[in-house]
Amino acid sequence: MNMIEFKNVAKVYEDKTVALKNVNLTIKKGEFVFLVGPSGSGKSTIIKLLIREIAATSGSIFVAGRNISNLKFSRVPQLRRNIGSVFQDFKLLPNKTVFENIAFALEVIGKPSYMIKVQVPQVLKLVGLEHKLVSYPHQLSAGEQQRVSIARAFVNRPPILLADEPTGNLDPVNSDGIMKLLSRINLIGTTVAMATHDRSIVNSMRRRVIELEEGEVIRDQKRGVYGI
Amino acid sequence: MIFRPRYFFGETFTSLRRNFLMFFTAITTVAITLFIVGFFLIIIYDVQGVLASVKSQVEVAVYLKDNITVELKTYLENEIKGWNEVAEVIYVSKDAALEKFKTENAGSEILKEIQGNPLPASFEIRLKSPEKVDQIALRFVAKDGSYIEGVDEVIYGQNYVQKIFSITAIAGSIAFLIIIILLLAAVVLIFNTIRLSIHSRRKEIEVMKLVGATNWFVRIPFIFEGFFEGFVGRAISAVLLYFITNYLLIKGETALADTMHIKDLAILGSSNIMLYIYVGMVIIGSLLGVLSSAFALKRYVRI
Repeated sequence: MNMIEFKNVAKVYEDKTVALKNVNLTIKKGEFVFLVGPSGSGKSTIIKLLIREIAATSGSIFVAGRNISNLKFSRVPQLRRNIGSVFQDFKLLPNKTVFENIAFALEVIGKPSYMIKVQVPQVLKLVGLEHKLVSYPHQLSAGEQQRVSIARAFVNRPPILLADEPTGNLDPVNSDGIMKLLSRINLIGTTVAMATHDRSIVNSMRRRVIELEEGEVIRDQKRGVYGI
Repeated sequence: MIFRPRYFFGETFTSLRRNFLMFFTAITTVAITLFIVGFFLIIIYDVQGVLASVKSQVEVAVYLKDNITVELKTYLENEIKGWNEVAEVIYVSKDAALEKFKTENAGSEILKEIQGNPLPASFEIRLKSPEKVDQIALRFVAKDGSYIEGVDEVIYGQNYVQKIFSITAIAGSIAFLIIIILLLAAVVLIFNTIRLSIHSRRKEIEVMKLVGATNWFVRIPFIFEGFFEGFVGRAISAVLLYFITNYLLIKGETALADTMHIKDLAILGSSNIMLYIYVGMVIIGSLLGVLSSAFALKRYVRI
């Protein structure tokens, strides 16, 4: 089953920058995919299109078989509840504790508090931070903060997890930990797409690699490496 | 979306506590701006009241000739009473005029000089609408320019009455302008402050949207906060206003009224207008808070 499908997708930003031209790609359920390429090649644009932060200029995008290119504004929240997203800058709320940051993601989609009380410690255990419930983000290391943000993205058990340069701000040791975590999440059956330009990570994982250059897919390789 | 009051109230108060500085700024802005508006409203209302009471004291005095017949006097009195513009006609006889003169000038040298009764009888006419004083006075003038039969002279403060009227008219429009400007300033200030406080939390909104919160779910806590800020800010300015009016203005005005011998000046004492101002401002304050939040959010919710 195709989890993500791009059909002739192009994106031109308002300032006339061409971010994507005629991109076609499919990602199957349970796959782990790296999106690689230099800055400005279109990796982040693909992620933004998937969570409908932006809309495609032309072409169709399917998520779990549904065409999201002409999704109504009111249906966007529903789409985002099925896609966990992780970013380079973590996007944690500084004035909320670890528990509250993750609980927040459940509260805003209307989960009852008894479920929140069970699910948050569970997911924190998964990311190995069960002892940091009442810490604030600034009391954590960068690696720990990224784990919290992954926990938040995954607590709702979405079928898709998108990560945009999740290791961009981390040292190699912490990056390694994050990659192990994403692999585990992938093993449970979650489709994971990660944009990165961290050569060593891509080379050591040997997963599918989609390489972009100037808005075009120039390579799609099973068990690939970063580049030649 | 399921409405969950506990979440929304909880979220509102938690964030109020954690964003105390921003909250404090918003509340003081609301309090100060609305205080100024309210203060001016009261002052202006008061000045209007003073001018109105001055205006209401405008009257026409019609002095009668000593040789006027009783029939003519009665005829004139009935005629004047029949005019629509007239509120009250008081006949002051020669004797009554002398009595009044004596009491007003008791102990003065001038009383010894008076032989007999040189004072004329008169009608004192109070008007329903003092602006028409000119027209009323003119009715005692015949076509040839002299006064009608039996009337010796008509006095209504020709020189100052019109001045008072134009002053009150100008004061009224200036007051209206001031209130409008102040109110606009209040709206802009409150809106900007609330927008700033929302701007400082755009990250929060971004995260909410990212994890799939609906637009209304994002908006409601902010709107609650706006309401709360408007309400509390207004309450503070109401308390300030209450003390200022009760302990400063009323005392000052009582002193003023005493020195100027104006009876109707106790306008602030009438709690009616104060109640309107308080209630009106609470509604305006809360409404401004809510609307500012809702409006300022528009930009940030659309992520």
